[in-house]
Amino acid sequence: MSQTYVGKPVPRLDGLEKVTGQARYTVDLDLPGILYGAVLRSPLPHARIVDINCDEARRMPGVRAVVTGRDFPYTFGGPVKDQPFLAIDRVLYVGEPVAAVAAETEFAAQEAARKIRVTYQELPALFDPRDALGETAAVLHPDLHTYRRASQYDIVPGSNICTIRRYSTGNLEQGFAEADEIFEDEYYIHAVAHSPLETHAAAAQYSAAKNEYTVWTSSDRPYRLATVLSEALGISLNQVRFHSMFSGGGFGGKAALVAEAVAVALARFTQGRPVKVVYSREEELTASQTRHAAFMKLKTGVKRDGTFTARHADVVWDNGAYCSLGPDVAYRGVLTIFGPYRIPSIGLLSRLVYTNKEIGGAYRGFGTTQATWACEAQMDVIAEKLKIDPLELRLKNAYVDGDLYLNGQMMRTVGLKDTLTLAARKIGWGSPKQQAAGSKRRGIGMACTIKPTATPTTSYCFIRINQDASVVLLCGSPEVGGGQKTVLAQIAAESIGVPIGSVSVPHPDTQYTPFDDAVGSSRTTYHMGNAIRMASREVREKILVHAGKILGRQPEALRLSEGSISDGSGAELMTLEGVLQKVVPRGGCIIGEGQYSPEGSPLLAAAPGQTAMSSIFWLFATHAAEVEVDSETGVVRVLRVAAAHDVGRAINPALCEQQIEGAVIMGLSNTLFEEFKMEKGRILNDTLADYRLASTMDLPQIDSIMVESMHEEGPFGAKGVGEPAAAPTAPAIANAIFDAVGVRIHNLPITPEKILQAMRQSAKNPPVQD
Amino acid sequence: MSIGIEICVNGLHHQLDVKPQTTLLEVLREQLRLTGTKEGCGTGDCGTCTVLLDGVTVNSCLVLAVDAVGHEVTTIEALATDAGLHPLQQSFIEHNAMQCGFCTPAMILSAKALLDRKPAPETAEIKQALSGVLCRCGSYKKIIEAVVAGGEQMRRER
Repeated sequence: MSQTYVGKPVPRLDGLEKVTGQARYTVDLDLPGILYGAVLRSPLPHARIVDINCDEARRMPGVRAVVTGRDFPYTFGGPVKDQPFLAIDRVLYVGEPVAAVAAETEFAAQEAARKIRVTYQELPALFDPRDALGETAAVLHPDLHTYRRASQYDIVPGSNICTIRRYSTGNLEQGFAEADEIFEDEYYIHAVAHSPLETHAAAAQYSAAKNEYTVWTSSDRPYRLATVLSEALGISLNQVRFHSMFSGGGFGGKAALVAEAVAVALARFTQGRPVKVVYSREEELTASQTRHAAFMKLKTGVKRDGTFTARHADVVWDNGAYCSLGPDVAYRGVLTIFGPYRIPSIGLLSRLVYTNKEIGGAYRGFGTTQATWACEAQMDVIAEKLKIDPLELRLKNAYVDGDLYLNGQMMRTVGLKDTLTLAARKIGWGSPKQQAAGSKRRGIGMACTIKPTATPTTSYCFIRINQDASVVLLCGSPEVGGGQKTVLAQIAAESIGVPIGSVSVPHPDTQYTPFDDAVGSSRTTYHMGNAIRMASREVREKILVHAGKILGRQPEALRLSEGSISDGSGAELMTLEGVLQKVVPRGGCIIGEGQYSPEGSPLLAAAPGQTAMSSIFWLFATHAAEVEVDSETGVVRVLRVAAAHDVGRAINPALCEQQIEGAVIMGLSNTLFEEFKMEKGRILNDTLADYRLASTMDLPQIDSIMVESMHEEGPFGAKGVGEPAAAPTAPAIANAIFDAVGVRIHNLPITPEKILQAMRQSAKNPPVQD
Repeated sequence: MSIGIEICVNGLHHQLDVKPQTTLLEVLREQLRLTGTKEGCGTGDCGTCTVLLDGVTVNSCLVLAVDAVGHEVTTIEALATDAGLHPLQQSFIEHNAMQCGFCTPAMILSAKALLDRKPAPETAEIKQALSGVLCRCGSYKKIIEAVVAGGEQMRRER
């Protein structure tokens, strides 16, 4: 059946608001009686708080509340609840909130925060997670075993290991014994900033009468945050209400309570007045969250013909001071280190380690970006040594439909090989190398990735058809830039049979919109899309039953399309509005509800006890890059990236392209430009002048290729796209640099200095030919 | 200390009391409540606070309110009229040239400044003109396409 909206590049529903400046973000929020918050942050990476004196701050003009951790002594967090709202008795990183002020103006709040006197007793700090693993290292969370936590994660009390994850299949020893070659390599991937253009911002208001908090957030998961807050404070979900507004970008960084935590703590003490907290860019860069840095050791056994026999991976994640969503990254995301490849025997040791640094959190890719760096960089080392074309080596081992994942789950709708061949073809794989002028050298390289989605997770929605046939789609999925409102409205319009212009998708409000897990893990189109399909079916059936009664026909013989009721012949019998006017003449609506969880799907079947590692869908992607390296300066320019993504059915191809293009830019920027410069735990480059992001001047030619391997349980066959999109970019660029100038970079970011140094070293010790 | 100034924004004259250090961005967002102009850094690095001063792009976070006196300030709120959207706004929608949208007002104003000065720019000039505005969502490709198309429409309407 031909589709009206699905598969079409429908313009964004939020486009008009965004081009006219009317889209309102949390930073734009104004409320009657609003106060402004400011935060006093720790200047030290690790210290005991001996004393906090707020007397002078409280006397400053315009100040309405000064709050310390002792005043609001609760803790929250991701799977391990290790984080105070404001520091209690000790600080664990430079930038940790120690006290907060609410005042009539932002300036007054900032001035007062400066007047808070804190006496610290400095303690030795740990900046490298490998040092933190040492037996004599100070233990940063000695009470780890007493924290509330989710049960599936193993902690290691008495050490700096927050969570540990071991996993193995097959027989590792035998696998390595069968190998013709064994490759042992170490890789490092650095921490980077999410750097959304809208910094972290939140407002909160407290009602003492009801012991109730209302929070305005630009998070991608209002319901999850409401749950975290209600659990932290020991109050019911009825007593926390999260409003979403437009989000000025998040990329995972807004998946935790950040500015929200400060706003809530302040609001408790402002006698009902709302408090808005907007992070400065400096705070955003130094005191929000980062991508986890990771040290990765890979040992891979391979037969001479390129068949894998075994791989062991040892990953140390730099957690920073508190865990946020790190335990999930180290539990699930890490598995991508085994690539989208058939490896009969594997062994994994993944340790999430506390350090005295900014908190590591969710970051687009959720660990798969880090893992893909190691896996795909080593793939090219293996290919070179075995004299096998890197594309052929990947194709030889790549998952195909029917292969079993690491936990025994059967993989379905695997478009991986298509992504490999299409990206390769687009970049001109195998054709003679382009020559560049002077000292410039060109090269091409590729990398691919696999990404699961968090499983099982749930999404709910309500659909309401008003008396005038306008449609309201109530769901808890915020618009974070990916076009969530548009895609979900497309699915609703198509499934119900109404014009997309009649569908509105309000911002989530946990008081009214039903539960959604998160806009994260590339799950929204699939999960919320399926919930919408169910709710749509319900309202559609109700409408057709009503129409059948009015028209004296069997409902099964009627069709609803574009708001028009017809029979098989296609002639309009009546309009949807006409039906509603008859059904609810004095006002009213038709309501449907949908709830989706993949729980119990036969697709998740796995080896006994291992279904927790199953994913309801699998995303695959290949990036192929062409770079130009100046062999005299080491400067890299990315000229072209062909990015092929298996997205399932592309509900809106334009929005899919945008995710891919945006992720390539982000991946390129992360890889070549971004790096925190640190001194004793302090981030020195705390402006966007010193922490450089890619601009229009860095834009390569990007060719987005969509592979649509239709998912049997996805809405119209859709899977997802946003999360894995940046993962293959870094290794594709690194592999292209090797093709251009013959050096391999193991430690990100790739800087001109590292390239020049590697070139000098390789000139001194030319590789031995065998 | 505050100073009384008259400032012209989007064709309207406003009498305002400002401090010597008050920025144009603060006046726009906090006093006039024109929140289409965004603050992304406050130090002139991200460009999301871009507005036009006599048709030329400035980072409004770096312009003192008192220095805007006697100049015509244009913000995103002035681009659409009763007659409809500006061609650039239309083409940004048609080309899906935004994601989170936080940089969109600044991108559109930067493009307008370029196209008003040079109706048919080369792609390299468009990239240059937009390079002062960061887009972390990485919508650059579609933004450039939208600016090319918007420019063509502006030429047709001349």
